[in-house]
Amino acid sequence: MTRVKCSKLRGKKPDELQKQLEELRQELNTLRVGKVTGSGGAQKLGKIRNVRKSIARVLIVMHQTTKENLRALYHGKKYKPKDLRKRKTRAIRRLLTPKEKSIRLKKSQRRQWAFPQRTYAVKA
Amino acid sequence: MGPKKETKEASASAKKKDTSAATTTATASAKKPTKPTGSATTATKVVTKERKEKVKSTALKAKQRVVRGNQLTRKRKIRTKPRFRRPFTLRLQRQPKYPRRSVPKRNRLDHFAIIKYPLTTESAMKKIEDNNTLVFIVNIRANKPLIRQAVKKMYDVDAEKVNTLIRPDGEKKAYVRLKADHDALDVANRIGII
Repeated sequence: MTRVKCSKLRGKKPDELQKQLEELRQELNTLRVGKVTGSGGAQKLGKIRNVRKSIARVLIVMHQTTKENLRALYHGKKYKPKDLRKRKTRAIRRLLTPKEKSIRLKKSQRRQWAFPQRTYAVKA
Repeated sequence: MGPKKETKEASASAKKKDTSAATTTATASAKKPTKPTGSATTATKVVTKERKEKVKSTALKAKQRVVRGNQLTRKRKIRTKPRFRRPFTLRLQRQPKYPRRSVPKRNRLDHFAIIKYPLTTESAMKKIEDNNTLVFIVNIRANKPLIRQAVKKMYDVDAEKVNTLIRPDGEKKAYVRLKADHDALDVANRIGII
């Protein structure tokens, strides 16, 4: 069987991909049976690896496209599912947002405006 | 709550009465507020207003009484048991603003993953011929009902019973006895185990 290529898979529809996945898994099953019964030579045994990796490719493409579509769906929304949010680190996620950090008392704001840091130059 | 509200109402209406009384004394002679409206035309405007207030407040009180029942004071429940149990409270269903996982987890233990391969050892062959059973190596996390379903789905056969054991090398072996209307030999041929 020819090698399944990701680029070819990306064009397919989800139900087509699903069908291909099922076919590949059936094939893997028969190959495994063949392995146990001793039928088929080295060629068949080598095929097992190809089929396993093809299955992986199909699953990758399926998963990637669904994730992409979901990200597009939730783009700009306030509440996103947690796996679509930025991951960074746990500590960073819990930090104050830049807006929260920049909050000042009205009093402080006025003071800063009224008495900013002055820079002086010395006349040579 | 009842009595409080009532008194508030009463005081409010009393206050109104006072103010209107002041005006009436200013305009006409000291008339009793409950007198019917068919009196002096000069002070009719003020008197009717007064009367309206009074009527309104009594009407309101009457309405309250009707709505709340005659007892405006709370009645205490009679408790016959010494134990207090939490009463049933409102329990709302979840209405999540977002799903926690964008995509639900896929089932990793589907029928392809359950049945790994059939066994073709001599004893397994004997089982096929004599006992109408097929022997499979099966995912160790599968249980008997799952194995039964998987065999049904993959090979289109009904199992009479499933026996499992875990081999010393850590794999699970499943003896699947087929129903009498299936022939294990035929099925084995179909699968490829001869």
